[in-house]
Amino acid sequence: MEALGALLDGFAVALTLPNLGWALLGVTLGTVVGVLPGIGPALTVALLLPVTFRLDPVGSFIMFAGIYYGGMYGGSTTSILLNTPGESASIITSLEGNKMARRGRGGAALATAAIGSFVAGTLATAALTFVAPLMVDVALRFGPADYFALMVLAFTTVASLLGSSVLRGVTSLLLGLGLGLVGIDLQTGQARYTLGVPEMLDGVNVVIVAVGLFAVGEAFYVASRLRRGDQDVTPIRGGVWMSREDWRRSWRPWLRGSLLGFPLGALPAGGAEIPTFLSYALEKRLSKNRAEFGHGAIEGVAGPEAANNAAAAGVLVPLLTLGLPTSATAAIMLAAFQQFGLQPGPLLFQTSPDLVWGLIASLYIGNAMLLVLNLPLVGLWVRLLFIPRPLLYAGILVFAALGTYSLNNSVIDLITLFVIGFVGFLMRRYAFPVAPAVVGMILGPMAEQQFRRALSISQGDPSVFVREPISAAFLALAFLAIATPLLAPLFRRR
Amino acid sequence: MSQSVPTDTQQSVDAPTRSVGDLLVSLGVLALGGYFAYGAFNISVAQSYSRVGPRFFPFLVAAGLLLCGALLLVQALRGTTALPEEGEDVDLDVPPDYRAVAVIGASLVTYVLLLEPLGFVLASALLFWGVAAAFGSRVWFRDPLVGLVLALIVYLAFTRLLGLRLPAGMLAPLGL
Repeated sequence: MEALGALLDGFAVALTLPNLGWALLGVTLGTVVGVLPGIGPALTVALLLPVTFRLDPVGSFIMFAGIYYGGMYGGSTTSILLNTPGESASIITSLEGNKMARRGRGGAALATAAIGSFVAGTLATAALTFVAPLMVDVALRFGPADYFALMVLAFTTVASLLGSSVLRGVTSLLLGLGLGLVGIDLQTGQARYTLGVPEMLDGVNVVIVAVGLFAVGEAFYVASRLRRGDQDVTPIRGGVWMSREDWRRSWRPWLRGSLLGFPLGALPAGGAEIPTFLSYALEKRLSKNRAEFGHGAIEGVAGPEAANNAAAAGVLVPLLTLGLPTSATAAIMLAAFQQFGLQPGPLLFQTSPDLVWGLIASLYIGNAMLLVLNLPLVGLWVRLLFIPRPLLYAGILVFAALGTYSLNNSVIDLITLFVIGFVGFLMRRYAFPVAPAVVGMILGPMAEQQFRRALSISQGDPSVFVREPISAAFLALAFLAIATPLLAPLFRRR
Repeated sequence: MSQSVPTDTQQSVDAPTRSVGDLLVSLGVLALGGYFAYGAFNISVAQSYSRVGPRFFPFLVAAGLLLCGALLLVQALRGTTALPEEGEDVDLDVPPDYRAVAVIGASLVTYVLLLEPLGFVLASALLFWGVAAAFGSRVWFRDPLVGLVLALIVYLAFTRLLGLRLPAGMLAPLGL
């Protein structure tokens, strides 16, 4: 197999000492930010972009991928042990996980989450290894019209699947698209929406938008609704391991979660949330211990955690082979590629095989490291949950300001950061999901470019988008993604 | 699975109780759409340029925002109120504390004004202190001290190890 040879070359890159160091640093950082409330992998990668500007791209991406995977592992620790509802991707794990912890089975819950994440992550990375080259072959045949239609599909699915109100998702997406318009139009050199500020000619940096919406917006919002009193962390009794019975009940949910998570993550369908929900529902239906659901059923932790991690690997398929980000973290990774002057997509596999295959190989290594980090050392990470919130959020804001300022040493960037941060606060308060804005901002200019390229090839004939079969199919799916949730209530009423 | 699906909005059942905030947000989206439409007219287009020019996407975004703003306005008038986002550190049962938001806002403005005159270390320590206070910390001696030490370590690491430049400000005479 061609892919196996390429993967072996990738291991030769990833197993060098410096790159192993970057992977270890990445997975450790990822676990830390995954455990900590108020900061996640998208924000962390965004904050690290200015720092990694001068580093070697291969090492940087191995670290970013480690942060991305590590965030998934760390997040499960929080949702199992912290007795407060978290963000929606991890809320499922907390349903059963926290109940298990409170019944004194926290160790088993953490173990099935970590081992399930490892199993799913490894299986999904293997799937990525073999699916990616096939996708590259398909993607090489795509023309500008097909790319544009694919991006429209990504827009609609991201806007309708992240968060539960399509209207609010689309509004957030449009805000991101609007921010992406700011600056000089690449084709004609015209300035757009620069407010007469010369610094705006280069456009708004996506790092500033991501850090503003995630870090500053979150700090404003949490401050306005701070949970008072001591942190309600459920202590772990006994060791972090599973009984024979736990293994017997966990292995099928792990496999089913992986099977569900990888393809759904690989579709341009908005990341890990949906497969997590589906896996929970599936395990609940299939379980012989259905009565236990809602009171701490181990299947309800094992399945969703596996689905979560498999979807995270799946998201890398469209990102690497098509240059199409479908989650906030993937959007920031795309920004990182652009910072290094690289464009992810089918050609990247030919021009930078070291980078792509080194990155994929490092995912296997990162998963193994994360299993070690999260089973014996979990007690260490739990202590992070006790950091006083004033110090945590003050630190996050200092790093947000630092990361933004060091982009260009510009106070204008800081002002932009804080204004966008306040918008992020309003979005949280009024139930607008933040991720579509980030995806829209990074993908919008690319979509516009492909759109205009397609039209100039067709001599201005707009029917090109429906005459090309691939493009027409994507557009039809995009229409369904938006129309189904909007029209469904009309049919239900009758 | 009913308990697991988060809902973003809630519909008031009896007489519509309209939330001023939701109304203002929908008007804000409309205003933003209007601004993008107005701006799109001001993008100059070369006469000879016959293909889809730099105005097309701006008009698309403007139209989308105006449509969404109108739909949000209708929702708000019908009494649909947005439910605030949940989170690990968020307690939706307490009344919102807008003073904390104001204190953070003031700390950020101060940071913008003082970063270059005072330098990164002192300005960051002040920001740290302000945000910690907004989050209800009352350990007055600890917060600025932690902020100062953190800022100093970060400053030295960034300027010495990573070769980035940060303003030294008032600490420049100390040779930092």
